[in-house]
Amino acid sequence: MDYPIWDVAMGGGVLMGVVAVVHVVVAHFAIGGGLLVVVTETLAARRGDAELRELARRSSLVLVLLSTVVGAATGVGIWVVAGLISPGAISALIHTYVWGWAMEWVFFLVEIVTALVYAGTWGRISRRSHLVVGWVYLVSAYASLVVINGIITFMLTPGRWLDSGDFWDGFFNPTYWPSLVLRTGIALVLAAVVMVFVAVRAGEPARRRQLRFLGGWLLAGGLLSYGGYRWWEASLPEAVKALFLGDSPLLATLADTRHLLLWALAAALGLTVVMLLAAPKLARTATAALLALTVVGFFGAYERLREGVRKPYLVRDHLFSNGLRVADIARLNRDGLAATSGWVARVSGEEAATVGREIFRVQCSSCHTLDGYQAIRPLLPSDPDMIAGPLFALKEMGEAWVAAPSGGTVDPARLDYPFMPPLVGTDDEVLALAEYLATLTTGGSR
Amino acid sequence: MNVDLIPAVDPAGLPAPPGVFHLLLVVTFVLHMLFLNLSLGGSLLAAVAHRLSGGRVDDYRAVLARRLQAVNTYGISLTITTGVAPLLFVQVLYGQLMYPATILLGWVWFALLILILVGYGAAWAAKPAADGAGRARGGWLLIAAVMFLAIAVLQVMVHLAKVQPELWPRLASSPWLPLGDPTFLPRLLHFVLAAVAFTALVVAAHAVRRVAAGVDPEPNRAIAAFAWRWALWTTALQVVDGFLLLLLLPRPVLLGLMRGGAATMVPLTLAILLGVGLLMMLARVTEPAARARLVTGTLAATVATVAVMAVTRHQIRELYLDPVADRLVAAVDPQWFNLTLFVVLLLAGLAVLAAVVRKVLTSPATGGEAA
Repeated sequence: MDYPIWDVAMGGGVLMGVVAVVHVVVAHFAIGGGLLVVVTETLAARRGDAELRELARRSSLVLVLLSTVVGAATGVGIWVVAGLISPGAISALIHTYVWGWAMEWVFFLVEIVTALVYAGTWGRISRRSHLVVGWVYLVSAYASLVVINGIITFMLTPGRWLDSGDFWDGFFNPTYWPSLVLRTGIALVLAAVVMVFVAVRAGEPARRRQLRFLGGWLLAGGLLSYGGYRWWEASLPEAVKALFLGDSPLLATLADTRHLLLWALAAALGLTVVMLLAAPKLARTATAALLALTVVGFFGAYERLREGVRKPYLVRDHLFSNGLRVADIARLNRDGLAATSGWVARVSGEEAATVGREIFRVQCSSCHTLDGYQAIRPLLPSDPDMIAGPLFALKEMGEAWVAAPSGGTVDPARLDYPFMPPLVGTDDEVLALAEYLATLTTGGSR
Repeated sequence: MNVDLIPAVDPAGLPAPPGVFHLLLVVTFVLHMLFLNLSLGGSLLAAVAHRLSGGRVDDYRAVLARRLQAVNTYGISLTITTGVAPLLFVQVLYGQLMYPATILLGWVWFALLILILVGYGAAWAAKPAADGAGRARGGWLLIAAVMFLAIAVLQVMVHLAKVQPELWPRLASSPWLPLGDPTFLPRLLHFVLAAVAFTALVVAAHAVRRVAAGVDPEPNRAIAAFAWRWALWTTALQVVDGFLLLLLLPRPVLLGLMRGGAATMVPLTLAILLGVGLLMMLARVTEPAARARLVTGTLAATVATVAVMAVTRHQIRELYLDPVADRLVAAVDPQWFNLTLFVVLLLAGLAVLAAVVRKVLTSPATGGEAA
């Protein structure tokens, strides 16, 4: 909470979402593509099927262009944006999992080099050597998922790490294996969909054969995704399930997202059966685009759901999305933000609204903009005197975490604002924040 | 110095002694610099060579521009990939400085992402027209060169903002402040000249090998001579710029470097000797195609110079940060098993890559496979 704040009118979360969505789609495609393209080439070699080999060759060029250009650049983009909008959080993650990321980098390095070699050496090296390069690519690409999956799932379900602080306790957490199965399925589905765009341009009868071949992979990947998703759902802590499952979920929008996820997957599977397996003549670029839309819809909904159910945490029960550590709540309430952050202390001698603005930036702006995404202005009561009450309720919420045993969880049903981090700071700082928020109301400054 | 603005040390501590991260940062940075030099220097040299070719497709400079463009489509990817590791380790060691500096620069730092995407896209876009008319391709080459030059500017700005926390209070309202730093221009020149010199030497060495193998001897001889001249003049300027940069460093930093004993003086002296030695090697040869071994030796000496310079650069950063060093001391909570696993995986990964490269070089397609 002692870093300066980058003001982004659209909201840092939106920017992160855009970069992250592009990256995860391309990254999963690169992993699934590695598997599918190399297996396709292997089968083509065994069967002596030149057209199947051509499908693998053409797909590999798309694969490399997307994964090495867009995938690599947006991967760096995630680091850049995360450092800009959540420096404290990314610092905490890096200090805990730097060796995980370093290992993932090794696999990524091998993946990128072999992907470039693989795509650039069709017909230039012996077929056997080309296949060997392809299999090295496949293994390294999948290994990068095996590693990064541990860090991603740790954030939602840190499990025994909360008590032990042990790297591997956090890595092999309760949702690790379900998520790996789910992501493997997603990777296969994404790769198969992209290859459909290549296959629809082939001449008959190869076109029909290739579409059915890809349909089989899509079906397998889709079913694997479904199984992985259900397993993932079942592995979540009860407090998380309560957010979006059951008859009266705490967050209706997340429950809707879940429905979208399941319907999008059902639509993708239905389209696969009809368009690729039963009647390949229906497969055209436009219908393939529809299939791609359902697949991206399914994956996008899952990522949205995964991010959503983690609210208000970045690392569940340990670190909030605004960089506040659970362990720091009591200290910050006692000493105040100005005692911790030089950026707040810098304005502490100025009028209350100025101090409040800095407190807003430090504690609220990682989720709320003034007028854009999750805008704060429309949420404020028209009467400025009504602002302080909810703020003190947000502050009191922190007591639930202070009272919880180390590594223990707080039941969201007990909280007034279960999807928000508690407000921290001295009472004067809370009042200063109220003063600043009052200047945003329709009544203007007081 | 306004140390109050430096965030507190991350309570999670360091998962290995700091020396391990310093070593890994320098080693991975050197690896990154080799590809970065090729991307920046290659895109600049390609744009210049294309311009000098006057649009004649068979001119040796047009051949050189195409060659560099082809390398760049792969090289940029490797630049990004190898850049991930030093970016990771720099955050572990200097996150308290890097995050505030980049946040205060805000959109300037975010522009890195846009510049990479446009630069990389331009490098690929230059490819389809490689055998056609020169204009469109030259335009894309120029765009790529400008983008990578802009990235160099940005990186120097971030570095200066990171090592000078005293700039932070003014940085939020004046993100271009680092441009006014006395060392900005010589630093940028050091960056750019090194990139062009390194790329020119790689190009010359490659062309000389082709001449020796009897592949298109005439254009390759001309390319080698052209690249060699570029390496010579950029290295000459580099030596001058290097001394200028040294003299323009803040006095405490310069004194720290001079009084650091063998730890700082050996790398610095070695870097200066290597720089001057390189200049002498380059000046001795006018026909590189006739001196293949010397060309290879010069390239090897350049790689060694990059490595030694990286050590000095790292030490200069530490000296800049000396006044706030006590704010950066973190607790150490080592994860020895994970560190060992990473080192084993890294060595295995590099061995696999070496094996893949060997396999590619020793198993050409034959007969129908080559079709």
